[in-house]
Amino acid sequence: MACQFCGVQPASVKDISKGDDPIAKIDPKDLMPLPAPYDGPEYTPDIAELKDETKKTYGKSSTLDGVLAAGIPQPETKEEEAELVDKFLDGLHKLFTKEDNWTFLQPLMLSMEHCARCQTCVENCPVYEASGFNEVYRPTYRAEILRRLYHQHVKPGNKWFKTFQNNGIELNYTLISRLYELSYRCTLCRRCAQSCPVGVDNGLITREIRKLFSQQLGWAPKELHEKGTVQQLLVGSSTGMNSVVVKDNIEFIDEDMTERLGWEVKTPWDVKGADVLLIENAGEFLAWPENHGCTAALLDKAGISWTMSSEIAGYDGVNYGLFYDDVQLARVASRHFAIAKELGVKKIVMGECGHEHKALATIGDRVGVDLPPRESILTLVRDIVKSGALKLDPSKNDFAVTLHDPCNTVRNLGIVEPQREVLRMIAPKFREMTPHGIHNYCCGGGSGFAIMSGFNFNDWRNLVSGRKKFAQILNAFADEDLNTDETKKYVCAPCSNCKGAIRDMLDFYGAKEKSGIHYGGLVELVVNAMVDAAEPVLDWDMM
Amino acid sequence: MPDFEYNGKTVSVDEDGFIEDPDVWNEELAAALAKGEGVDALTDEHWNIVNYLRNYYQQFGIAPMVRKLCKETKTPLKRVYELFPSGPAKGACKVAGLPKPTGCV
Repeated sequence: MACQFCGVQPASVKDISKGDDPIAKIDPKDLMPLPAPYDGPEYTPDIAELKDETKKTYGKSSTLDGVLAAGIPQPETKEEEAELVDKFLDGLHKLFTKEDNWTFLQPLMLSMEHCARCQTCVENCPVYEASGFNEVYRPTYRAEILRRLYHQHVKPGNKWFKTFQNNGIELNYTLISRLYELSYRCTLCRRCAQSCPVGVDNGLITREIRKLFSQQLGWAPKELHEKGTVQQLLVGSSTGMNSVVVKDNIEFIDEDMTERLGWEVKTPWDVKGADVLLIENAGEFLAWPENHGCTAALLDKAGISWTMSSEIAGYDGVNYGLFYDDVQLARVASRHFAIAKELGVKKIVMGECGHEHKALATIGDRVGVDLPPRESILTLVRDIVKSGALKLDPSKNDFAVTLHDPCNTVRNLGIVEPQREVLRMIAPKFREMTPHGIHNYCCGGGSGFAIMSGFNFNDWRNLVSGRKKFAQILNAFADEDLNTDETKKYVCAPCSNCKGAIRDMLDFYGAKEKSGIHYGGLVELVVNAMVDAAEPVLDWDMM
Repeated sequence: MPDFEYNGKTVSVDEDGFIEDPDVWNEELAAALAKGEGVDALTDEHWNIVNYLRNYYQQFGIAPMVRKLCKETKTPLKRVYELFPSGPAKGACKVAGLPKPTGCV
């Protein structure tokens, strides 16, 4: 039914295959309002319009919502389009075949067959809510497209009856190119799945759609594939650092930390038989060096025998395959496990990176056997802090601190309390966000969005997918003065991906300069509270 | 690939405006790229950073960590942002002709 105020007809599921114009539009006036002092229209500008040249090159794939995350160059002929549709259909069959999808077929089938269309999930989706309830972002909109295709083209039985029963949908190139883009409008936070009374997982469905496109058509955002997993497996890290560069960088970090703390910090490399293999997200070594420096300092102070690995992928815990492709996921996870075995360590400790946790700690179990034990840095730091090995003075962290819960570590793995136990011991002005823990909201950068910034996708991320989180951060600091940067506020975000998204969000809204809102990890706060640190490791000018 | 035009010449850039081939970089191109990043004229302070980035890139094949850039060029981060309003990665690296940083950075 058309809106009684503006006359705009919200997109129906069938619209995905129709027309040459975008089926959705993002109007800043529709977006969820932000709290003061960010409630003025100047903080919610228009999303940059796609250039005509971009629209021409990416054709149909640019006609979803006026936004482009990855895009597919428009095929030149109808024949090419038809060929791609056939390939898609082939992939659709594979998605529902045990031999081709033994990893996720069972949960996918449950999600296909058991949705009661009750829409309980929709009010739990941060993208849908922040967008002002834009129909194409409704979690069941995307899922329903796959479900109809499944009933029409895959499920055995009378085709006419099944199509009639499920309302049908036209499968054409317009549908597949828009569906590809639409699979990159969900952060895979899985808040929808958590709220579903029967356990239907729209996050998983989205991820399986991405997988179909990647494994069958070779369609994947270059940040995740070409510059992501491919580069990681070839060079050693998705950042492009080979082992020479990473060692040079870590040496710099160790020296810098040693200088600032007043005791020696040294990262051991390739030590056979060490107890712990530390695998962190390599983004830390370039963008947030204190995070590695502080982790190293804490492991040393606790007297833990540890090492890093300079093997390909051994020093980069990212596994973007988790977001889009099972084959790449398995390749990277297998490398991580093989390196741990080769070194003969007792366990892998995963650094402050949410999706690394998810890929190594649980999904990894689907792609290997006899795997080494894995532990989160969050529980290890909790144990170190509680052991009394460190002399701590919480008053050194005399500023407001709130905690962001990375979806993969918290909702998806249930690591909720350890980081809070630490904060209660070291941050006197710690306050929770509302809601928090397993009910947290995504940073807006989940599922790879934090590193995807082509075209106008950055605007979309900051204005739409990160909007709930920005509102939560502002609300958590509502008792502080948000009109000055004199009083410091710290968002503790123990995840590299989340930190990247929060950094971009604070930049976008100018919240560092206007309100003194900074961000960083957990280990930095612990080391900042250490009595015997010569200098504070939190350097506000560098953050 | 989109094109970037300057002084009657054309180079290929990615959708974020980073040049595709680092070898086509020259000082004239840097000055033109800088204009797009809110830098009207490149001063010695700008060149200090741009040259450091290029040398590091030629040696290691990627961009340096920001802290290292600050320490070795003796430029506080705040000053880097004053010089390149779009920041060290999106601003300074683009002007220096480095590819767009990849991974979780």
